Amino acid sequence: MQQFDSIQLPESAEQLRGEVREFLTSQAARLSPPNSDFTTGHDPEFSRLLGGRGWIGMTWPRAYGGAERSFFERYVVTEELLAAGAPVSAHWIADRQSGPLLLRFGSEAQRSRYLPGITRGECFFSIGMSEPNTGSDLASVRTTATKEVEGWRINGTKLWSTDAHRNHFLIALVRTEPASDNRHAGLSQIIVDLREDGAKVRPIRNMAGGQDFNEILFDEVLVPEDRIIGEPGNGWQQVTSELAYERSGPERFLSAFRVLVEFVRAVGPDAEPRAAAVVGRAVAHLLALRRMSISVAGMLEQGKSPDVEAALVKALGNDFEKLLPEMVRLATLEDFTNNDRWSDFREVYSDTLLLSPSFTLRGGTREILRGVIARGLGLR
Amino acid sequence: MDTRGLLLDTATRIFSDHCDKALLDAAETGEFPERLFGLIRENGFHGLAMTASEVPLIESFLVLKVAGRFALPLPLAEILLGNRWLDRDDRLIAIGIGDATGARNVPWGRLADSVVAVRESGEVALLGDFTVTEGTNLAGEPRDRVVADSVESLELSDDAFSEMALSRVMLMAGALERVLELSLQYVGEREQFGRPISRFQAIQHHMAVMAAEVAAAVRAADAAAQAIEGDRFFLEVAAAKSRVGESVSVVAELAHQVHGAMGFTHEHQLHHFTRRLWAWRDEFGTELYWQTALGSHVAGLGADALWEFIATRG
Repeated sequence: MQQFDSIQLPESAEQLRGEVREFLTSQAARLSPPNSDFTTGHDPEFSRLLGGRGWIGMTWPRAYGGAERSFFERYVVTEELLAAGAPVSAHWIADRQSGPLLLRFGSEAQRSRYLPGITRGECFFSIGMSEPNTGSDLASVRTTATKEVEGWRINGTKLWSTDAHRNHFLIALVRTEPASDNRHAGLSQIIVDLREDGAKVRPIRNMAGGQDFNEILFDEVLVPEDRIIGEPGNGWQQVTSELAYERSGPERFLSAFRVLVEFVRAVGPDAEPRAAAVVGRAVAHLLALRRMSISVAGMLEQGKSPDVEAALVKALGNDFEKLLPEMVRLATLEDFTNNDRWSDFREVYSDTLLLSPSFTLRGGTREILRGVIARGLGLR
Repeated sequence: MDTRGLLLDTATRIFSDHCDKALLDAAETGEFPERLFGLIRENGFHGLAMTASEVPLIESFLVLKVAGRFALPLPLAEILLGNRWLDRDDRLIAIGIGDATGARNVPWGRLADSVVAVRESGEVALLGDFTVTEGTNLAGEPRDRVVADSVESLELSDDAFSEMALSRVMLMAGALERVLELSLQYVGEREQFGRPISRFQAIQHHMAVMAAEVAAAVRAADAAAQAIEGDRFFLEVAAAKSRVGESVSVVAELAHQVHGAMGFTHEHQLHHFTRRLWAWRDEFGTELYWQTALGSHVAGLGADALWEFIATRG
């Protein structure tokens, strides 16, 4: 059974929290997007400011521009940014998983080349995993990279790559050997320069009106030999090692947080019992989810790979993010669709609700996560 | 092994050795488990929560989680906290919800040497010259009505009602873990269509949902227990009773679903746990009661203080 140890955040992390809040207060004009979703605000200037404070790549070695701080300190920075609705999308993937991946599997040359730029908030990464015919079944990717004298020749299509139309690099999962009986063999991760290599990036509008994710076409795109991350053929092991980073953070339960904030504002300090109960219920969920997420940060700090625990936090957190707008809309008899006092609530509620289908899809669907948990329980 | 480990290990050994189906069935017919009660006294659990024991109070609540795992058919929470509040090692103390004439929902009030009445307001009283009308909760646990001729008000520094609510939180956390274990075992053994039902994705998803709910409930319960000496104990109990109660609704339902008709029989042990879960979530404040208390407090702090409240250190 999965254990989530009780952890008290260290004093150093709490001190840092104060600094982050102070910084956010000074950046108030850049905040207040209509929701607290981590994909909403893409603001390179804000990312550079964060990098200047040492808050990107915080846990990485100083040699690569990191701050050698703990996962708890990183946790505190990320949750403060999200809760405030800060525009974190530009550096988010690079900080959360591309950097750690390069640290673990990348060559010395790759680390020196990419990591310092990431920590400065100047170098942004996207993920290239899904394809038109590859969603949850990630091992079925068909994009190929073929070794030639001048480098790797890439052909195929990647899909749902968030911010690829404005980020610098993509880490693509590609097939470097023909598919065999071992579906997980022959896959590799390769770095693509989205501005130089000739891949065609086509933004795709989502149903909420946003234009964050993309289709990327590779038509005989040639990249230098040294763009392969780790050993060719080791892609599957590498991709799955990213998952604990990708799935356990506060972005997995805070996407709808601003809905609760605006609901509390609208109902006021003397909320009627129906409204108060919903606030209490949501807070109880948030407290438990946050503590579980911090427990996972503790496991990462100890050098563990808590894949199952991370899947569990994400599964619970995503369900809560979807439940929250549903809960609050039925907690008032007032017509919030047509009432000035509720206008801020209406905006964040509408925005979050329209984004909510993605919560249980991105980063591993609910169904895939349940499979991971079932495997952790020894059922498959 | 550290002190806590030794304590919980001892509790686990005693409870697992004695809390079998026969004992649980017997207790439901009103038979007090004297021998087990004697063992609990002999092993020092009786006075564990008393100030004189010098054992931190949290340990008593962790023992209650173990008690929940085994559906211990004894009023251990009442014994622990009653002895603490009265500061005396009575043979059997019962604690119920205070009302105008005495107390309701008193576990084993019929055998109690002392009965304490706790009100939502936090007022605590020792009942005297009482008469008992026997009753049970939906798990078949004795829950008696006590009418008292005299009442002695007690001045406690403890938040008595919250401590009682936390006792139910810990019992539920332990029972939830057990229900998950029983379900995991059952789906691995039960075969249909020529294979264990654990091979079916529908069952795997049920189990994943249960595991997630149990993990959240246990984490919430532990947090409330940790907060016992802190200044937001009441609020952490509120959050835990709400969160754990929600888990109970999901986990008990799914546990019965994966156990099929077998789990619906009296002969199977599952219902000893699920019925207790259903009973305990209602005792000392339902989810709605605690959600309203917590939500009123948070709303009173204001929208811009909401995050500060959630971003607690512990």
